[in-house]
Amino acid sequence: MNVVLFAVLTLRELVRRRLVAAVALLTLVIVAFTAWGLHRLATAVVDGAPIADAGVRGTAAGIVIMLAFLFSFVVALGAALVGAPAMAESIANGEILAVLARPVRRAEVVLGRWLGTVLALAFYIAVAGGLELLVVRVTTGYVPPQPLTALAYLAGVAAVVTTAAIALAARLPALAAGIVSALLFGLAWIGGIVEAIGLALGNARLADAGTIVALIFPTDALWRGALYALQPAVFGALAANANANGTVVNPFSVTSPPPPALIAWACGWVVAVLAAGVAAFRTRDL
Amino acid sequence: MPDDAIAAHALAKRYGRIGALQDLTLRVARGECLGFLGPNGAGKSTAVKMLVGLVRPTGGAAEVLGKPVGDRATRARIGYLPELFRYPDWLAAREVLAFHARLLRLRDAARAIDTVLDEVGLRERAGDRVGTYSKGMQQRLGLAVALLGAPEIVFLDEPTSALDPVGRSDVRALIERLRARGTTVFLNSHLLGEVERVCDRVCVVDRGRVVAQGTVEALTGATRGVRVRLDDGWREFDCAPAEIPDVIARLVREGARIHAVEPNQTTLEDRFLALVAHA
Ligand SMILES: Nc1ncnc2c1ncn2[C@@H]1O[C@H](COP(=O)(O)OP(=O)(O)O)[C@@H](O)[C@H]1O
Ligand SMILES: [Mg+2]
Repeated sequence: MNVVLFAVLTLRELVRRRLVAAVALLTLVIVAFTAWGLHRLATAVVDGAPIADAGVRGTAAGIVIMLAFLFSFVVALGAALVGAPAMAESIANGEILAVLARPVRRAEVVLGRWLGTVLALAFYIAVAGGLELLVVRVTTGYVPPQPLTALAYLAGVAAVVTTAAIALAARLPALAAGIVSALLFGLAWIGGIVEAIGLALGNARLADAGTIVALIFPTDALWRGALYALQPAVFGALAANANANGTVVNPFSVTSPPPPALIAWACGWVVAVLAAGVAAFRTRDL
Repeated sequence: MPDDAIAAHALAKRYGRIGALQDLTLRVARGECLGFLGPNGAGKSTAVKMLVGLVRPTGGAAEVLGKPVGDRATRARIGYLPELFRYPDWLAAREVLAFHARLLRLRDAARAIDTVLDEVGLRERAGDRVGTYSKGMQQRLGLAVALLGAPEIVFLDEPTSALDPVGRSDVRALIERLRARGTTVFLNSHLLGEVERVCDRVCVVDRGRVVAQGTVEALTGATRGVRVRLDDGWREFDCAPAEIPDVIARLVREGARIHAVEPNQTTLEDRFLALVAHA
């Protein structure tokens, strides 16, 4: 019950502080821009003839993956920048003092802030991601294989980064918690590339190092889930081929979805880190 | 005594090497107003934060309303005005209070909110965002939050620090109303005049230690002598309180022109300064 109160407070702050309005405006600009670009692509004339449908779709598929990649960074940064202050600000300005003197569990504050932030980001992912996919479909006729699964994986990325930001912010100032969780996301992404290189070169040590990073901060595994859900089957086949030859490393294609064990790990990770955040908050002096 | 509002036994808090509060043993009866006095850094805020469950004691124990400090259900029956705080500037005062009313599960929230807004004189501006408030108005909102739901104990940590003289006298009147209602008041302050006027009892802390405890009268000591202003200025006469009229009568008989008479009393301030005078 109190968890919902804190979640609503978090959401209300985002709306009141005009963050929602600003982000909505920017997103619309970006959507309009992609719509214009894709429309030009679909109606382009090369050597006196329009580009073949297959060509347009293939290009659109590549663009969707590029957009999703950039989007995953925006979402991760958003999670760090929204989650950390949601938790740390009220501690820094002393607002939390009178609140915690009420019959409130400290865990309810942490979980409520988490829930509010994750809901806000999930909503943003659904709306902005959905709009972009709609624009792609209307302009080029292309629909990626599993668009909803991809958006769900991106929401998972947001949840992981939010969890880190909030757990850190239970003890650290907003700026530190936000920057560290954003850096962890970047580190996980680099870890994913290292793993891909290791696999391509048949270097087990490199591949293991990447896997360890993926276990410590499971955003890259989730990003690959999104990637797998967005790429046409032919991309995956090409990637498998390249891996087999040990030639090209393409971080923008994967051969298989993340194994269920990794997804379970990511879920367990969120629960464990959130629990650690609650413990850190419960044992601190204010 | 089971009827104590607050009972602390050797309560202590260390932050690393700093003993913020050492060995606080204290009882506050229900309905009593205790002035918790001390210079800056004495450990006043630390004591209150331990009593409301925000800071974990590193030694000793304390009970509030008969339950160990931090007990969740008991926290519904106390109010707390922190020393340093800023409410979110994007909420209106009424919304801040509504949020706290929900945390308290108040049944008639709208009425309770109006009551405390009137109490602190913030009713007209209650719909405005806190971001547009002066420091003094924020302090009044903090007081309103502390009074919401008619708590049995109110902890006020330097309630007048941001207030102008009018605000200060308003707070004094407010504390007197609380006392009249039987609310226990724990008042942190370094403003002696304020404490002297409203508190039944005083506890003086300095550098984490209690240096004196007792009623205001006991601390300031009995009246001794009288100060009289004559044509040529103030003169002091040593006498027992009962002899003051005789002293005045004698002066008049001797032809002195008397402009003012004041009993010669150690003020709480004199006593306080003597207690916390650092060697
Ligand atoms: N969170 C903290 N960490 C370290 N030292 C602290 C902390 N809070 C208070 N102190 C120290 O404890 C002492 C008492 O502080 P405080 O209770 O705020 O005093 P007062 O309210 O009487 O001015 C001071 O020396 C202060 O520096
Ligand atoms: Mg203080």
